Amino acid sequence: MHIFVMLLVNGLAEGALIFLMAAGLSIILGLVGVVNFAHGTLFIWGGYMSIWVFRLTASFPLALLAALATGVIMGIVFERLFVKPVYGKVTSQILITLGLMIIFTDMVRLLWGPNPIPMVRPPWLDGTWVFGQVIIARYRVFLIAVGLFVAVGINYLINKTRIGMVMRAGIQSPEMVQALGINIKLYFAAVFAGGAGLAALGGALYAPLVGSVWSGMGIDNQILAFIVVILGGMGSFYGSAVGSILIGLTSAFTAWFFPPLTAYSTLLIMVVILSLKPEGLFGLAVRK
Amino acid sequence: MTAKWWLWAAYAVALISLLVFPHVTGVMMRELIGRIFILAVFGMSYDILRGYTGIINLGHAAFFGGGTYIAGIVFTRLGTSAAALLLAVALAWAFAALLALIMGQFAFRNTGAGGVLACAMITLAFGEMVRHTAETLREFTQGADGLTFVVPVIFRDRIGMYYYALLFLVVMTVLLRQFINSPTGRVLQAIRDNEQRARFLGYDVRKYKLLALVTAALAASSSGFMFALLTRFANTDLLSVQNTLNALLFTIVGGTGTLYGAIVGTAFVQLVQSYLLELRGIHEIFARWQIFFGAIYVLVVLYMPLGMVGAFLRIKGSLARWRTAGSNHTEAGE
Amino acid sequence: MKPLLKVEDISSFIGPFHILQGVSLEVYPGEVVVILGRNGAGKTTTLRSIIGQVPPARGQITLDGVSLLNMPTHMAVRAGIGYVPEDYGVFDLLTVEENLKLAMRQSDKATLTRRDEVLDIFPDLGIAYKRLAMTLSGGQRQMLSISRALVNDNKIILIDEPSKGLAPIIVERIQNVLMTLKKKTTIVLVEQNFALACAVGDRYYIINEGRTVLSGTVDDLIDDTALQQTHLGLVLT
Repeated sequence: MHIFVMLLVNGLAEGALIFLMAAGLSIILGLVGVVNFAHGTLFIWGGYMSIWVFRLTASFPLALLAALATGVIMGIVFERLFVKPVYGKVTSQILITLGLMIIFTDMVRLLWGPNPIPMVRPPWLDGTWVFGQVIIARYRVFLIAVGLFVAVGINYLINKTRIGMVMRAGIQSPEMVQALGINIKLYFAAVFAGGAGLAALGGALYAPLVGSVWSGMGIDNQILAFIVVILGGMGSFYGSAVGSILIGLTSAFTAWFFPPLTAYSTLLIMVVILSLKPEGLFGLAVRK
Repeated sequence: MTAKWWLWAAYAVALISLLVFPHVTGVMMRELIGRIFILAVFGMSYDILRGYTGIINLGHAAFFGGGTYIAGIVFTRLGTSAAALLLAVALAWAFAALLALIMGQFAFRNTGAGGVLACAMITLAFGEMVRHTAETLREFTQGADGLTFVVPVIFRDRIGMYYYALLFLVVMTVLLRQFINSPTGRVLQAIRDNEQRARFLGYDVRKYKLLALVTAALAASSSGFMFALLTRFANTDLLSVQNTLNALLFTIVGGTGTLYGAIVGTAFVQLVQSYLLELRGIHEIFARWQIFFGAIYVLVVLYMPLGMVGAFLRIKGSLARWRTAGSNHTEAGE
Repeated sequence: MKPLLKVEDISSFIGPFHILQGVSLEVYPGEVVVILGRNGAGKTTTLRSIIGQVPPARGQITLDGVSLLNMPTHMAVRAGIGYVPEDYGVFDLLTVEENLKLAMRQSDKATLTRRDEVLDIFPDLGIAYKRLAMTLSGGQRQMLSISRALVNDNKIILIDEPSKGLAPIIVERIQNVLMTLKKKTTIVLVEQNFALACAVGDRYYIINEGRTVLSGTVDDLIDDTALQQTHLGLVLT
């Protein structure tokens, strides 16, 4: 039983991290019809920037903020310079964002070197809570809290704000939104930047969990996020939330019970779900 | 008639110079050109997907690297006898075909723009799983250190290997040309141009896509196998997304949907890469090939979507039209 | 009197297809202009060209003296156009309230008053106010779509086939609404339903193969059965 609780916490924490990437990806996909293949690169940049700021200021909140800002700025630059010229051309979007992935991943190696850089957990998040046989790392609980906070925040954004109205309307017909006098391109950019910020935040939160950052961590997590986006239903925010939890729990449990299968279990889950439901759990066919 | 005559002459000159080439040039250049011959097939295999069927497969390196690794593993484990060579070839093809079938089973489920995206994402996931597997199976692959191996005796002569590579390129070009000009190839192009229309015409689009993927996988795997014979070394970079993007860059620089474009593109990219690496002594930035790679790549996608051969064909086309228009004009004048 | 909306010889392409090859029309303040023509003649494309969804390659479009050419759609619309598209363009995942809110370009008192007036005209929408638009019937969607055009202080309203696919009794209601609107605003109406077009319209333009071929008053058109047959394919019963 205590193993079960611990794995539950581990899985949810991992799910929360994946969710930070997958939510942005899925919302961007739903509204803008773009998949950012450089999403994992933003994750890396978030990780490296947070460590850089953490070493300068010794403040973890500031480090997270710096990562978020880095992601948002990079998102704006990516969107304005590289994605905007190819809106509506799916193949070019994939190719362009892949190019950005290559450039900006190598830039990390150029700036910070090819070797992993260690990162510690801030003292107030380090350590464990012990309840009888159950040992829970504080940092994982923190991750779950951040994930929940972001999920509730996005849910509020989607359902209660003007930007949310534009997002829900834009999924159906961006053209009609514009015909109501709304500059939807501006919202595209904002959503893209927001998603980028979340991915970078994810990277910053990932570093203390695993104890270091390295330039290869982007692609691994990006693939988990892709799997979530696909099995949750492309473009569905709720799908990305449920999918993240599912994938987080799957990895945590297989890592404990069948360690050699860990890397494949997520792909396997996707394969099973796609076989049963080709359009994903919350199947929202992408119309653009 | 005259056009045909000079074209054949050009082919003959090119072929003779390629045949003489290894005897008049240095080792480095010979190795590089041999590498270009082999990688060009990898590029062409990608063009079957991207250029002729409209598929973005981000796990394509798994086929190429799979071929290289299988060759390496068989040669290290079972020796370099003729039987081992045949077994290695058979295994490399079987692996490629099987992986392509599994991958395609899930990648080609959706259609339309969302289908292209889903396909790219799913193939990326499969490709990375293969890379991950190679990294984990240290016993066979030596993990991140890379696998060094010996090759069968007939492939050990460097000049001989150059000719094998050339022969490989010529044979594969002819075969792939045949494939895209076959009825099946025509259907693939119809799918690329308008998937929905192809479906309405009664074609089983998914089956044809699978067929294209298997064909491309076999070509890529063969290319990877030849690469093993040439370099006698395999590492997980060969299985990475970066390597898939190599193939993609070859085709888009040369021109997608032109087949020969991949050859031109491979030559161009490889020559630029080796030139830049030579500049490494001047400034360390030139050692960062990937940044240049990414930059070339983004610029080509944004500003040169036709690629070199594509642009050439377009110019040639407008020139021909201009000529006919001109001659019509004179006729009218008379 | 100067025309409120002036479309001069516009030429528009959709992809490689030359859809509009010379459409001209003038709409004067307070009148209802109906655009008639067979399927595929370019009626919808004309409306879409006016709001910049299909930017014309040649020609000129002015609203109240301001050129709409080369303006992105959201700017063209803000110049004072309400657009009611063919398939209603109602957002399924938004409530009725949100659909209206999204359409409101301001939230001043005048806009809120207009919204309340709209809800008086369409009591159905008031009842379904908090419901998702996906639960609405076809007629209700049409009403919501028209309402979205009415909540702003628009100079002109473009309506694309409001009767399409609706039951006769609903069409009758739509017609009544259009008759009321007629007193308040300027309307360009694309309509296949000849009876509705005649009842509401003041003047007409006929578009054929991407060109305006005829125009005149609706009263004259009603009398000219030969013209109805040649250009609209109508057979008198």
